[in-house]
Amino acid sequence: MWTVPKPKYRRGSCDEGEIAVNIGGVRVELFGDVLNRYPESRLAELLNCSTQDHEVISSLCDDFDPGRKEFYFDRDPDAFKCIIDVYYFDEIHIKPGICPICFIKEMEFWKIDQCVLDECCKSYLSEKEEELTEIANKVKVILEDLEVDRCITRTQRCQRFLWRLMEKPGSSLPARVIAIISFLSVLVSALVMCIGTIPELQVKNVDDKLVEHPTLEGIDTACMLWFTAEYLLRFASSPNKLHFTLSFMNVIDFLAIMPFYVVLTLTSLGTASMMELANVQQAVQALRIMRIARIFKLARHSSGLQTLTYALKSSLKELGLLLMYMGVGIFVFSALAYTMEQSHPETLFSSIPQSFWWAIITMTTVGYGDIYPKTTLGRCNAAVSFLCGVIAIALPIHPIINNFVVVYNKQKVLETAAKHEVELMELKNGRGVRRKSSN
Amino acid sequence: MEKSLDLNKDASRSTSSLPPEPVDIIRSKSCYRRVRLNVGGLPHEVLWRTLDRLPRTRLGKLRDCNTHDSLMEVCDDYNLEENEYFFDRHPGAFTSILNFYRTGKLHMMEEMCALSFSQELDYWGIDEIYLESCCQARYHQKKEQMNEELKREADNMKDREGDEFDNTCCAEKRKKLWELLEKPGSSVAAKILAIISILFIVLSTIALSLNTLPELQETDEFGQSSDNPQLAHVEAVCIAWFTMEYLLRFLSSPNKWKFFKGPLNVIDLLAILPYYVTIFLTESNKSVLQFQNVRRVVQIFRIMRILRILKLARHSTGLQSLGFTLKRSYNELGLLILFLAMGIMIFSSLVFFAEKDEEDTKFKSIPASFWWATITMTTVGYGDIYPKTLLGKIVGGLCCIAGVLVIALPIPIIVNNFSEFYKEQKRQEKALKRREALERAKRNGSIVSMNLKEAFARSAELMDVVVEKSERPHDNHLSPSHWKWTPKGAASETSSNRSFNAHEGSPDKGRDTSPQRINVQKLEEMYNQMAKTQSQPNLNAKDRGSRAGKQRDEIELGAIQDHRPTVLGTREGVGDMKSLSSIDSYISCATDFQENPRFTHSPAMDIGLQESNRFSHSPAIVFSQHGNAKAGQQITGEREPMLTPITKPSYSENARRFFFPGNSSKSIIPKGGCRSDRGSGPSPLSDSSVQSDNSLLSPEVSVYTTASSRTPPKSPESTTLAATVFTFHDSSISKYIDADTDDDEHLRDISEASPSERLLAGSSPKRSININYQKGTNHLETAQKMLGQNCLFPNEGIRRVVHENHVGPEMARRPKVDRGRQHTLDKGL
Repeated sequence: MWTVPKPKYRRGSCDEGEIAVNIGGVRVELFGDVLNRYPESRLAELLNCSTQDHEVISSLCDDFDPGRKEFYFDRDPDAFKCIIDVYYFDEIHIKPGICPICFIKEMEFWKIDQCVLDECCKSYLSEKEEELTEIANKVKVILEDLEVDRCITRTQRCQRFLWRLMEKPGSSLPARVIAIISFLSVLVSALVMCIGTIPELQVKNVDDKLVEHPTLEGIDTACMLWFTAEYLLRFASSPNKLHFTLSFMNVIDFLAIMPFYVVLTLTSLGTASMMELANVQQAVQALRIMRIARIFKLARHSSGLQTLTYALKSSLKELGLLLMYMGVGIFVFSALAYTMEQSHPETLFSSIPQSFWWAIITMTTVGYGDIYPKTTLGRCNAAVSFLCGVIAIALPIHPIINNFVVVYNKQKVLETAAKHEVELMELKNGRGVRRKSSN
Repeated sequence: MEKSLDLNKDASRSTSSLPPEPVDIIRSKSCYRRVRLNVGGLPHEVLWRTLDRLPRTRLGKLRDCNTHDSLMEVCDDYNLEENEYFFDRHPGAFTSILNFYRTGKLHMMEEMCALSFSQELDYWGIDEIYLESCCQARYHQKKEQMNEELKREADNMKDREGDEFDNTCCAEKRKKLWELLEKPGSSVAAKILAIISILFIVLSTIALSLNTLPELQETDEFGQSSDNPQLAHVEAVCIAWFTMEYLLRFLSSPNKWKFFKGPLNVIDLLAILPYYVTIFLTESNKSVLQFQNVRRVVQIFRIMRILRILKLARHSTGLQSLGFTLKRSYNELGLLILFLAMGIMIFSSLVFFAEKDEEDTKFKSIPASFWWATITMTTVGYGDIYPKTLLGKIVGGLCCIAGVLVIALPIPIIVNNFSEFYKEQKRQEKALKRREALERAKRNGSIVSMNLKEAFARSAELMDVVVEKSERPHDNHLSPSHWKWTPKGAASETSSNRSFNAHEGSPDKGRDTSPQRINVQKLEEMYNQMAKTQSQPNLNAKDRGSRAGKQRDEIELGAIQDHRPTVLGTREGVGDMKSLSSIDSYISCATDFQENPRFTHSPAMDIGLQESNRFSHSPAIVFSQHGNAKAGQQITGEREPMLTPITKPSYSENARRFFFPGNSSKSIIPKGGCRSDRGSGPSPLSDSSVQSDNSLLSPEVSVYTTASSRTPPKSPESTTLAATVFTFHDSSISKYIDADTDDDEHLRDISEASPSERLLAGSSPKRSININYQKGTNHLETAQKMLGQNCLFPNEGIRRVVHENHVGPEMARRPKVDRGRQHTLDKGL
């Protein structure tokens, strides 16, 4: 196979086994034995059927000049120059500048298998393809929004209208108003949750315990009711219930609402059936923490937060690396610090788990100062641990940041691309412009 | 001379045959299934069927064109025998465009500039919306970026040139004052002033901080500490300086409202005002009762004095670009703050629930633990609050790591913005510096331009000598060989006459940003400058130059007066020379090439000059400059009214637009035939027709002429759009180039110098050099056209032309130069 490639361009007689092809104006003469290395390919087929059978020939190429024995193909000559390499080198490299998607189409035309494409170009190709599918998905979503109501029944139409109202803030003015109200209510409820814990603003209840101020509680309840109504409406209008319940944003929504109702039922149960009050209150306390989840509801309204979650999801490996480095560092340095500080009579390092805390605070360069080494050796150890901490954090963080930037930029690109794609589709449908005529 | 015959045969299809009949065209189209497209020298072959897929594009229209005229509108040249159509476009983009026809997918070459690709798309009549989504994102991003950059550049230019002091009294002084205060780079005094200003800022800030030292404070009658008297004096002096500076700036500013709005000036005002407000408040409220309240207000204003440190921004580009970066990346900053806020919220509530049951915990409420979360997430860690329970410590550890992550994430984007902006700022600063240096040089009577001018004069002299030797035999011998030349000469002359129109008509050519063009503009600048310096009185060089010119003019005057009575043939001979030279100068002589782009800038001027100078040997015509000289001999009176529209347009771009209609109307007029008494028709056309009629030529000549004049191919539907769009591109691009090459003059010439002034240059004797130089241009045009046409044919043709003409490159140039000189002389007399 690995013979020396024969010169591509050779003047002279066109004897058997040698064909001249004209690809979009570029004339190339090829040898039959070279072409036969890939008998499946279009050129090899052309070579083998180059009898006077015009029908076969015209099915294989676009034009045939019997006088010059030249086959004409109405294809891209640049791509062909790359593709012809397969006959000589058994592999193809995409010439930089040619769109890989386009190139694959050319390869299909020449009936050359995709597997001869070299690895380096394959990754490039898959990258592009991924991007394209993402764009296509986005476009699909946008198109679904734009789609005219074709639902037959009234309920379906209502459902559709409601869905758009709740889920697509860009679709209409009321939808935008609803989105803004929802955003504000998230903020208000988060604020209320924080302010409610200030002792000065709390009031004493019958059991002489501090509880939240009634007005704050009222506001919180109102917000909760709004969230519930929102969630239920969304759920009711969603076309696919299962998909809806499992989606990330809706899980958060559910988690934000649920504690409120659980607390409500528990307290009512507690007062009604005289369950053990202590148990109920403990459960209520635990559930209060769950209220934090409502902050994540902001992510629905901020593309930046979505980008962050996406970036973190795509760089899970690096995050694991970061945690592992930190974990190893914490173990090593806390153990070292503990043993070194043992010599000091008034040591702050009472145990190794106790010094974990110190190690974390030192390695992340926070340094509260609640625990600090007192011996010289311990201080040296602290300095080293600080340096290692900086490195341990800085090294894995770089790919994470990189991921974030890539995702962030991609998001922007995708948005413009999707917008233009939709425009293109409108153009095609609206004006009835035929871009392609079937080959 | 035999070679010249070959040239005639090979060089252009039009000289050897009539315009093909529609029947021929249709036959040619029907007998080939394929078509060869030659785009900028690269041959492509494509099926007609493929082109039919997009019937409304330029290539699609090519299929439907059955007459010569319509074909010439679509393509630049064609050859029916070879079944080849020529387009004078960038070949790189065409590959992807042709692939669009073949596959229905429009992809963009990766290395293409988005802007030029979009121009190519406009030319070929394809909407950019067809771009595939994989390339589209890149394309639009690049394009938006480009447009943004160009806009910013344009804004900067406007800012810089917006300083006009012509409205009120003592404009000169105010301008000086303004430059002194606002442009530290303009003179030594301004620099010193800037340094003093910086020193005052630093001094006042130091005084402000020292004032709060308890040791330096004194207690007043209320037992409250007050300012140290010495420091108060320092403060007063500084404020006085700031106030004076601000007022002077305000007075000298050309645009008061803009000045008032400027961010740096707002800072200045904020730095001064608190002091006066404080004085006002303390003086007006002497009573003890109100004093405590007033004191509180005064304290607030005192804090505002800190703002004066921001005054340093005026003197530091770094600070300015920091400000701009923050302004530009507010999106990312918002993201950063949002991330932080969410992290703080989450971790503070978590730590609150973890720690609240601890004995005398400091995490009393969620708002109270906000502080802890902030200090932990930013890894500051004061240690005033820290978690004590195990759960709290776990939350604390997570908080540290999350803080590091969250802060680090959006920062690279901001950093990127900053570095980009900083680079840009640096570049602009450099450009500004060079521009100022050039201005100064110009003011002082620049050495550079002097030298150039002298060099130019010298070269002109040289040319004269050469021509003197070689011209005579040609002119006076009516040898057959000479006659063989004539058709071509006449053709090229006429076509050169029109070529300027052609050039304007196809703005795409103007947009061509080849490297040569950059140089071209630079040199052009020099020429402009030269013209300006020359127009200034009391310059020895000017006298010298014009004296030299006069001498030559005198010689030439004699020579041409000899010709005048001779038959038409001699004049044809002259035209012949010109065409020769045009090719030659195009190829061999770099300076000539530089003149080329002037067409894109001041078409109006070109017309005037071209018309007037070419035939300036007849004194009467000098006055009816804008009329066609030859036609003018017959119908001078009729020509006169045409002047008005040409001279009127106040911007060169206007002028260009103005010529669009003329251009299109020309294409309606059939070749040859019509006489020059057509009032509305542009003179060049009539000129050509007269020419062809008079010179007893075969009709081929006129065909040739029309062919070359039709070259501006423009799909009718896109005309209006293209006109506007291209104008923008044109000017913006030239701005861009300007910034890049740091050739600073020409921009002002384009945008500022009123074209009417330039038109004046045509008639003002002082600018004779400019005129000469203009004249060079049309011949260059011819040369380009010819080359373009030759492209179709075997290369040997072109080469032969080149070699042939090398015999006397300068000789043909001479007449133009001398005429210009002579013209000057006439006027001067």
